[in-house]
Amino acid sequence: MLAAAACGHRAAARDATRDATRDATRGVTRGVTPGLASAAALARMPWDSVVARARGSTVRWLLWRGDPAINHYVDEWLAPRLAMRYGITLDPVDAQGPAILNALVVEREAGRTVGTADLLWINGETFHNLRREGLLAGPWARSLPAAALVDTASPIVARDFGEDPAGYESPWGRVELALIYDSTRTPEPPRTYEALADWVHAHPGRFTYDQGFTGLAFLTGLMIHLGGGASRFTGPFDSARYVAASARLWDWLARARPDLWRHGAAYPQGVAQLEHLFANREVDFAMSYNENEVVSKVRDGALPATSRAYVLRDGALANAHFVAIPFNAPNAAGAMVVANVLLSPEAQLEKARPDGWGDGSVLAVDRLPPEWARRFARLPADARQVPRDTLARYAEPEASPRYSELLQSDWRTHVRTGTTEDPSAGGDPESRTTRPALRSGP
Amino acid sequence: MTARASGSAPGAALAGLVAAPVVVGLGYSAAAAIGLAGPAARGLSLVHIDRVMRDATVWRGLAWTIYAAALATALATAAAVAVAIGFRGTGIGDRLARIAALVPFPIPYVVAAAGAVLVLGQSGLLARLAAAAGVIHDPSGFPPLVLDRPGLGFILTFAWKEVPFLTFVAVSVLATRGQQLEETARTLGASPAATLRRVTVPLLWRGLAPAVVLVFIFIAGTYEGAALLGPTDPLPFAVATYERYQALDLTLRGDGFVLTLLGLILGLAAVAVFEWTRARAERLRS
Amino acid sequence: MTHAPVPGRTTAAPIPVATGASPGWRGVRLAMVTLLVISAVGPPALLAMLSASQSWFYPALLPTGWTADAWSAVVRRGPLARAVGTSVVLGLTTGVVGCVLAAPIGRALARLHGAARHVAVAAAVLPAAAPPIAVATGLQLTFVRAQLAGTPVGVVLAHLVPAVGVLSFFFFAVFTAYDTRLDDEARSLGASPRQVWLRVTLPTLRPQLGAGVGLGFLVSWGQVPLTLVIGGGRVHTLPLEVMGYVQAGETRFAAAAALLLILLPIVLLLVASARLVRGSAPASAPAPASAPAPASAPASAPTRVSA
Repeated sequence: MLAAAACGHRAAARDATRDATRDATRGVTRGVTPGLASAAALARMPWDSVVARARGSTVRWLLWRGDPAINHYVDEWLAPRLAMRYGITLDPVDAQGPAILNALVVEREAGRTVGTADLLWINGETFHNLRREGLLAGPWARSLPAAALVDTASPIVARDFGEDPAGYESPWGRVELALIYDSTRTPEPPRTYEALADWVHAHPGRFTYDQGFTGLAFLTGLMIHLGGGASRFTGPFDSARYVAASARLWDWLARARPDLWRHGAAYPQGVAQLEHLFANREVDFAMSYNENEVVSKVRDGALPATSRAYVLRDGALANAHFVAIPFNAPNAAGAMVVANVLLSPEAQLEKARPDGWGDGSVLAVDRLPPEWARRFARLPADARQVPRDTLARYAEPEASPRYSELLQSDWRTHVRTGTTEDPSAGGDPESRTTRPALRSGP
Repeated sequence: MTARASGSAPGAALAGLVAAPVVVGLGYSAAAAIGLAGPAARGLSLVHIDRVMRDATVWRGLAWTIYAAALATALATAAAVAVAIGFRGTGIGDRLARIAALVPFPIPYVVAAAGAVLVLGQSGLLARLAAAAGVIHDPSGFPPLVLDRPGLGFILTFAWKEVPFLTFVAVSVLATRGQQLEETARTLGASPAATLRRVTVPLLWRGLAPAVVLVFIFIAGTYEGAALLGPTDPLPFAVATYERYQALDLTLRGDGFVLTLLGLILGLAAVAVFEWTRARAERLRS
Repeated sequence: MTHAPVPGRTTAAPIPVATGASPGWRGVRLAMVTLLVISAVGPPALLAMLSASQSWFYPALLPTGWTADAWSAVVRRGPLARAVGTSVVLGLTTGVVGCVLAAPIGRALARLHGAARHVAVAAAVLPAAAPPIAVATGLQLTFVRAQLAGTPVGVVLAHLVPAVGVLSFFFFAVFTAYDTRLDDEARSLGASPRQVWLRVTLPTLRPQLGAGVGLGFLVSWGQVPLTLVIGGGRVHTLPLEVMGYVQAGETRFAAAAALLLILLPIVLLLVASARLVRGSAPASAPAPASAPAPASAPASAPTRVSA
């Protein structure tokens, strides 16, 4: 303990003498140091001065690095252009939702007013938790020049899991939950949840879902459908609605259980493990939160060439993902410039290419300059993808993230253990996890 | 460094320094378990401890973890003893066996686990061989060895993974201590079988015991292997701990720290047992 | 069971506990050797095939298509190559600094007696035996406060936690078996303790110091949980890349990275195990030979921390 503390103090003292803006010894917090403008302040300044502040700086971006197609887009297309046009050096760092939340909470607990990350790639539950804990800087997103092009009319882009971003995050892309099947094994995949239930009973042991975020999204979508559809789940969390809808979900799962893979006693750890089962003919369906992922996975040889993606006619959960700036970002100006570039038609078009990432655009077609609108329309489509108009027709916005939170813990406590007791008998979900904000900061 | 004859103070202090980071971690986990520290701290509260203690799945998972780790350790020990005793000589077969036993040593847990899925899974290499031979017709015909309640794939994989280390220790023990005692027994007229039973194996066991304790605690504490190979219910202890850290519901973080604390305490117990067996082995030498 | 050696009896060939006499026993030995060789050669062969396979689905026994893109990614100076470099540098630093710290500690431990000895050894082993994820999360706040989180220096310090534990135990065993007469003679000739340490003790223990550096290197080389939590995604080591590829289902890249990960230690292992391979040679001197016996326990750390 002494050695670690001594090391810590030595290192801290070194940094303090080297850089006055990084003084955080002994957890003493200070006010925002001069020269370190907050995102909110920058949002009120003219854009040119923001760009000028950002020039020559480094932007550290916490984002998920688990998909090589995304990494390729960020490292090979985005980063060089940022360097060339704005003199910004992009520093991508691998971190996903819960890890980002943990990191920022720990930083605030440690009293770090000058943090280590400038930009975050988040959405849904992560955004909700970060916002509630006051860990995000802003508002700033609406001050970006490219924000005028965003499709604010779409409920999927304008709200993040039903919550208003309120300028604390800027949209980046959109995805839709899709099922993946093998056209040689399943020439006629079921198109509704009911048909899926029938299919499961007709093909015992050939369907399952994963324990990760994708499986949770599947369960959430199923619960929303059983609870009356997405229109019933807009607005803030409603515990009575959750109790009623989840009861139907547990019922559906209990009836399907004996005919699931391994009789519902075991579930793959994450979506990669589910895709492995699908590709190797242990089950006949995989799922993906990115409806176009099937193209890149077939290209990589992770999925068989006859794989196809589709969405259920009962509605497919769609959501947008965003970028946000943490409360203690050292380079908010650089982060804002990057966010603006991400929204540019050029960047959105490149991102949407099916032979690359294939992520949906968040821009409104009618607000684009005609030249760009034409280019978007001419984007090639792969036969394995879900057609874009089909996607739009069945897209449903996500509900409040509290539904997913409770669904995750209730599923773990009740469905996974195979008990027959009714989880909704566990009391009012609202009182079970009431929690005021956890601020322990300055 | 002065050569003090009774230098117990500096020695003990230095050992304390080495253990200090773990003690710090223990303290922080303990504080977080009762709500005084950690990302979701809300003030002194026993709700996390209460929730974990009352959760039957945690205890079932812990029981499964102990069962699987014990079985894997026992298998690995048996294999290591067999190799150390059966291949003691200097012939080409003996040397080949000893090298081959040691080669898998640097394979990390995550690679071993991922590989096990590819080999032992219902659509894995063994299953494909069976399908090619016509014994089965589709993956479901092959017995489930991964994600199964008995944990067969988990046990086999981790037993295999730990054979190199235990073989290394076993061969060392025999090489350094076995000779004299065995020769003495033989010159006093004991038969090879009796020597084996009364001298070699007990000696080996004494010297191997500390390593066996360590292997047990290593297998019990691994995450990736348990996540990829272990059953979904009962959920292995390391997976249960990690899940609570990553849960969307922030209030479950404290539960994660309770489990961490429990893991650290079990680690302490294991170290105590380790030291006890090591002391016994040391007494044998003097 | 008597401890007194029989006078006049010279050490003979190893006791033939397992004679090649009975064909049944021969058969069993052959089966065992075959099994061991398969278990040694199989995994690297499987990894090699996986690393070059385009796709390999059930029920195919061999990959249906080959590609070199995983290996070309390694050769190009990309993130994978950088991760290898990072791991090598971190490993060497951990090994050397670990030995510098642990050798004096080990010697101090070896001089203790009774209860203090037991408690001290247990304390030294604790960092290596405690669940790494528990240690990592426990230390995270301290590292963030000290601004070491996410820095290579911080990761080295984190790796030193289990490494110094393992190495302290290793050097404890070494110094327990160490013959102090050499040191005593040097002292009696007028050398200061420091001179004895630098000019007599350390040079005599050069092979053990080399083994210690290798051991510390392996602890760091295979480490996952500490690098993940303390490195915070900014320090990219080879085992982290392997884990990332496995979790993303990138089998090819995972296999290539895993091969790199196990290649170096296997080479080190084959070089270092020459003595073991020569068999239970009765003529081997007791002093250095007894050192590996209790010291082999710390070799567990690489298998442990590479979770």
